[in-house]
Amino acid sequence: MAVPAGVIVGLPAYNEAARLPAVLRAVAAAVPAAEIVVVDDGSADGTGDVAASHGASVLRHPFNLGYGAALQTLYKYALQSGAELVVQLDADGQHDPAEIPRVAAPVASGECDLAIGSRFVAQSDYRMGPVQGLGRRLFSVLGRIAGVSVSDPTSGFQALNRRVVALYCEPFFPPDYPDVDVLVAATRRGIRIREVPVEMRESPRGSTLHGGMRDFYYVYKMLLSLWTESRR
Amino acid sequence: MTDAERLADLRNLFLHAPESGGAQGIALLFALALAAVVLWLVRRRILRAEYTPIWMAVALATLVVGVDLDVLRWLSRLLGAWTISATLFMLGELFLVAICLNYAVRISQASVHIRHLAQEVALLRLRLEKLEPAAARPAPEADRA
Repeated sequence: MAVPAGVIVGLPAYNEAARLPAVLRAVAAAVPAAEIVVVDDGSADGTGDVAASHGASVLRHPFNLGYGAALQTLYKYALQSGAELVVQLDADGQHDPAEIPRVAAPVASGECDLAIGSRFVAQSDYRMGPVQGLGRRLFSVLGRIAGVSVSDPTSGFQALNRRVVALYCEPFFPPDYPDVDVLVAATRRGIRIREVPVEMRESPRGSTLHGGMRDFYYVYKMLLSLWTESRR
Repeated sequence: MTDAERLADLRNLFLHAPESGGAQGIALLFALALAAVVLWLVRRRILRAEYTPIWMAVALATLVVGVDLDVLRWLSRLLGAWTISATLFMLGELFLVAICLNYAVRISQASVHIRHLAQEVALLRLRLEKLEPAAARPAPEADRA
């Protein structure tokens, strides 16, 4: 399926100069009509310059703000530039850019507002650590209680229409890691979510989201976010 | 004499235990030093004036209780404490918790503002980069002629 005009493919990137060129080439091959935007989140390895030399528009944070903040900068840019559809994917090669049209399709057709490329809907060779897996299951259950039935809420491979983009520009969007709490907020505001099965490779960095004491902080923060959202 | 009366007497004894005056001297010195440091920080533009009232109030309160211990004794009776040092510890702890919470709120607000500003910088920079090449590009030969 062809991706319509007015599409931005965004990649938040932090110190990804080595892996980014291959990803950008694959994105350009998959969706030649789309504007490719890299959000350089204060990298020290010249990620922004590498992205620019490969033809991407580069939004450069003056210092590291966090993955969620980088995504929000992308959404703000998309909103300002009048894009109708945003596809986001990770810059480390975890996601296959050839699957962008498939993830974007349900949003482009108006079937849903937000499509999440999920590694759990279909068989994938992605493996998680035990703590990450346990956390995922816990919040999957809590999300279901809150009305969100998504198997892979942490997936960075998503397609969003303008309505979702505008919502995610609001201050509630977390600067670190958006998770099921954001999906709960979206669902409560009437956003229609759909999952699309995608293949996902393990991140070359290993678990990029959590680890050590951060797992406990993550559980605490998620419970607090879900509670805050439930009181809204 | 009942147990309650004996306890009341004992408490009164604790509250009016003779003071050497050393602690009062330290309190007075601390109050004056605190006020002096706050003023010096403001003069050097290290501390902004709007953050000083709370510290000047602490210096003044320390000065008052240092000069007149009866204020602390009255407060101790009001709070049900047995010694004025216990009252001082409790008030100090409450103050520290309150000031930490206040600064946590201020830091939260400041971090949101900093994030928005940094995002705005990124957006404006890209807009500028897109405009600059067009402005710097040499005019075609036909236009120059």
